Amino acid sequence: MKRRLALCAALFLTCVTCGFTQGEQQDFLRSMGKIYVVVAVLAVIFFILIAYLVYLDRKITKLENSIFNGREEQS
Amino acid sequence: MIKDWWKILAVVILLYVLLMGFLVPLKPGIINVMPDSITAGDTVTLSVEGYNTHFNRSTEEIRAWLKLDERHAILAAKIEASGEGQVLSVTFYVPATLPKPKQVQETALIIDSPVDGSFVMPGAVFLKPNLSSAQADNAPWTRDQITGLHQVETFRYPYRNILYETIRNTYFHIPMWFGMILLFLASAYKSIRYLQRRREEDDLYAAALATSGLMFGILGIITGGIWAMYTWGEFWSFDVKQNVAAISLLIYMAYFVLRASFEDPDRKATLSAAYNIFAFVMLIPLLFVIPRMTDSLHPGSGGNPAMGGEDLDNTMRLVFYPAVIGWTLLGLWIAQLRFRYIRLRNACEE
Repeated sequence: MKRRLALCAALFLTCVTCGFTQGEQQDFLRSMGKIYVVVAVLAVIFFILIAYLVYLDRKITKLENSIFNGREEQS
Repeated sequence: MIKDWWKILAVVILLYVLLMGFLVPLKPGIINVMPDSITAGDTVTLSVEGYNTHFNRSTEEIRAWLKLDERHAILAAKIEASGEGQVLSVTFYVPATLPKPKQVQETALIIDSPVDGSFVMPGAVFLKPNLSSAQADNAPWTRDQITGLHQVETFRYPYRNILYETIRNTYFHIPMWFGMILLFLASAYKSIRYLQRRREEDDLYAAALATSGLMFGILGIITGGIWAMYTWGEFWSFDVKQNVAAISLLIYMAYFVLRASFEDPDRKATLSAAYNIFAFVMLIPLLFVIPRMTDSLHPGSGGNPAMGGEDLDNTMRLVFYPAVIGWTLLGLWIAQLRFRYIRLRNACEE
């Protein structure tokens, strides 16, 4: 599961960097007064915060499982 | 009193910041002027491309100047709007003589309209001297005074060339660094408390605050890179402020390496608390002293390391300071969750 998470993060970062490397010409992020640069910045903040929440959530689940002696392992 | 009022406050403030950050428009400005070089003595028509402008409204009252310096300017002879208010054709009869007849000089283009107010593009056009009439003459340049500029009071963010709409990143990129410093400060405080009282909770809280501060720092570096990509041209240009930011993040990463390398909980807590205080002390020369001593691409060169004085006007302050509070509270919230989790885990292991 950790591997899958890392894969998702890597995929996301690749997508983002692909968007960046389009060069100097009038690309999508430069259109409309570069407003999509702000959108990209917010997207990065959002995804990293969510990724951290997911990470914390998984650790708490593990802790719960160990406390309740595997009672909720099936679910 | 609701126990977690500050979490609600964080959400409300961040909602306000998001709404204001995206919905408030920019002031009008000039994107481009063609041609960008003219010769003294010519009659030139400049094609001006505006941003958020309304040149098609009350066009006859629009005035434009080419400004050489504080005392020398010429008024446009003819002004025509075309398109949907974004394009303006401005005709100047440029005098053959110049105050400084031998130099190529930069001129600023000033446009004044009753609808949009007045705005300027510095260094818009290069003015080349006319070599056949090379004597100094001020007279044609002092006839037209720049007076009676319109001030339009609107709630709008400043227009800056190159930045354009990305000026809104002020509410998302800069508060990451403010938040990081505040979280590291709180972390250092908790470490000092640990060394005073020797209570394990203080050390755990210091670690949780440092985690959340480090996350804000990483966010700050990534968002700064994205912003730089579209304004400076490169994600990472080895600018002094980028480098010291990266170094300070590495110092805090070492804090977690240090924490992970001890088995004995008391030694781990004591040594990492001492290191944490040292790390925060290291931040001060890195983030507040070195950037002031060198040139940088980043705004605020030679002065405040974060911002240029004119980039944050009173309109932006109304959103920027709440943004700092909101993001910092969010960071505290994340740190608190992390602390509660670690404390629960430790309690279970015992």
